[in-house]
Amino acid sequence: MSVAKSYPTSRSLPMGLFWAAALVLVAVIPWITGSTFHFHIAIMVCISAMATGGLAVTAWVGQLSLAHAAFAGLGAYTSVLLVTRFDLPVLLGLPAGALVAGAVAFVIGAPLLRLRGVYFVLITFALNELFRLIMLDVPALSGGSSGIAGIPKLSIFGMTLSSYEEVYPFALLCLALVMGLLVLIRKGQLGRRFGAVEENLALAEASGIPTARTQNLAFTLGSAIAGFSGAFLAHYVGFISPETFGFQLSVSYVIMLVTGGRLALWGPLVGALFLTPLPEFLRGAVEYQHIIYGVILIAVLRFLPQGLAGLPAQLSRKGDRS
Amino acid sequence: MSFLIAQSLINGVILGTLYLLMAIGFTLAFGVMRIVNFAHGEFYMLGAFGALIGVTWLGLPYPVTLALTIVFAILFGAVIERLVFRPFRNDELSGMIASLGLAMILQHGALILFGPDPQAFPAMVSGVFKWGALIVPKSRALALGIGIVILLVFYLFLMHTRHGRALRALVQDQEVAAVFGVRLEIMYPLGLGLGIALAAVAGGLMAPLFGVSPFIGATPLLKAFIVVILGGLGSIPGAALAAILLGLIESFTSSFVSASAADIVIFALVIGVLLVRPAGLLGRAEV
Repeated sequence: MSVAKSYPTSRSLPMGLFWAAALVLVAVIPWITGSTFHFHIAIMVCISAMATGGLAVTAWVGQLSLAHAAFAGLGAYTSVLLVTRFDLPVLLGLPAGALVAGAVAFVIGAPLLRLRGVYFVLITFALNELFRLIMLDVPALSGGSSGIAGIPKLSIFGMTLSSYEEVYPFALLCLALVMGLLVLIRKGQLGRRFGAVEENLALAEASGIPTARTQNLAFTLGSAIAGFSGAFLAHYVGFISPETFGFQLSVSYVIMLVTGGRLALWGPLVGALFLTPLPEFLRGAVEYQHIIYGVILIAVLRFLPQGLAGLPAQLSRKGDRS
Repeated sequence: MSFLIAQSLINGVILGTLYLLMAIGFTLAFGVMRIVNFAHGEFYMLGAFGALIGVTWLGLPYPVTLALTIVFAILFGAVIERLVFRPFRNDELSGMIASLGLAMILQHGALILFGPDPQAFPAMVSGVFKWGALIVPKSRALALGIGIVILLVFYLFLMHTRHGRALRALVQDQEVAAVFGVRLEIMYPLGLGLGIALAAVAGGLMAPLFGVSPFIGATPLLKAFIVVILGGLGSIPGAALAAILLGLIESFTSSFVSASAADIVIFALVIGVLLVRPAGLLGRAEV
């Protein structure tokens, strides 16, 4: 049932340095061009990559969540409400969003994760719809279908990040923290436990790994990251509504994850980096954007089951064989 | 009060029949090919556009249009099976993700072809049936009548023809069915084609009632999901039970409480059923 049977092994050090250098080079593009538009794209890449990173953590234990947008929404609404109604600094609102999203995931995760494979996907799909409907039903809290506009901008210690150039370093820092967390999880004991659960649940259980708790931990962490990214998105864009966090957003996270590589550590980053700016290269063909997304998704599933992040390994394997 | 109950009952049965058309196709595709088809709602949408083209552009009679919709949908389904789903036959999760991509392609393709605006569909019949205080618009009665006929024909096909038996055998056990000479190369495209045709004809039936736009597929997809989750993925009797149940719950809750309450009651029910009986009311547990 899984797309890629095992975690890709870590690359040798020189290759790692090469990719790190490439990443830095991509990250500084907005500063080189100086275009506000490029800054905006880069910030959106950071936010998408964080959210997709959260989805990846859940995927590492073998579960695909279609409720990821709902958790992003939970984080967004938590932070926005705390900041606007209780005058909490935005810097505290972001982790609060993560906390609430994670707490909700922890509570509902235990019964939910008894479902596996497509059944888990279906129930998370239903949950995302439920979240949207409930939020639409409490306009006092959510602003209803007209949403909440004029959300306070991101600020650090009283200093408001009003321009794109000021937001970008903060976005990079947050992304680095999230990716750092992912690396810590993946390289540590927890990562091995996740891998064991993903590859063979029964065997993991028999080996003394508490599989239910492990899956719930991954789901909680992943959803908390979603909450953080959602809160970031809300304060950056300045507008949210229940529709912002609908099925489409969940699907776009899944597309980024699958395109990047469902089980690869750097998959979320690669997927977000590839797919977020893509519409800009298709200017003049905006209406074809979603069609191209769909085609890319199907093509990646078919020809690159380990995603773009697995492409170098796949190529070198082919090279070895010939 | 008893009038309100009877009216809700009738509305519930009409809704239930339509949900059943959607859900049976969906559950058949899952039963036969193990594919959770997120693009199912888009075939409903395409069916509605097909009917619109047939009736308003080509000037064909409504029944002929519906019949053509079914034929084209079966052919289209076979092509989709070959192009999109065949590589993922033994991989439920990848097949499902691929269907998400397919849904995007179809919906936005329709958006480019037909534009985003809802289009009116000419009324096929007008007026109402009246029994005392009970009122049923004739347009709804027509959709219900044709829907029931199609479901009956489909039932007879499944129970009493060679291909129908082969499909049922596949739902029960792929390997054993293959060993007994069920030809997968024919039955997979046929299964998906029939499933898609049921969705498309549901779209054609609903078009006169609800209008046509590229975005109309989302709600029927959601209803089909709910029905098959409740009834059990791959179980056709389960889908029948759950579709009628869903129609009745929706119609009763919205007449006696409110429409948004209906949605929340249904989702609570879905989550409850999934937790207590993950395989659905009449589904078989996964091995």
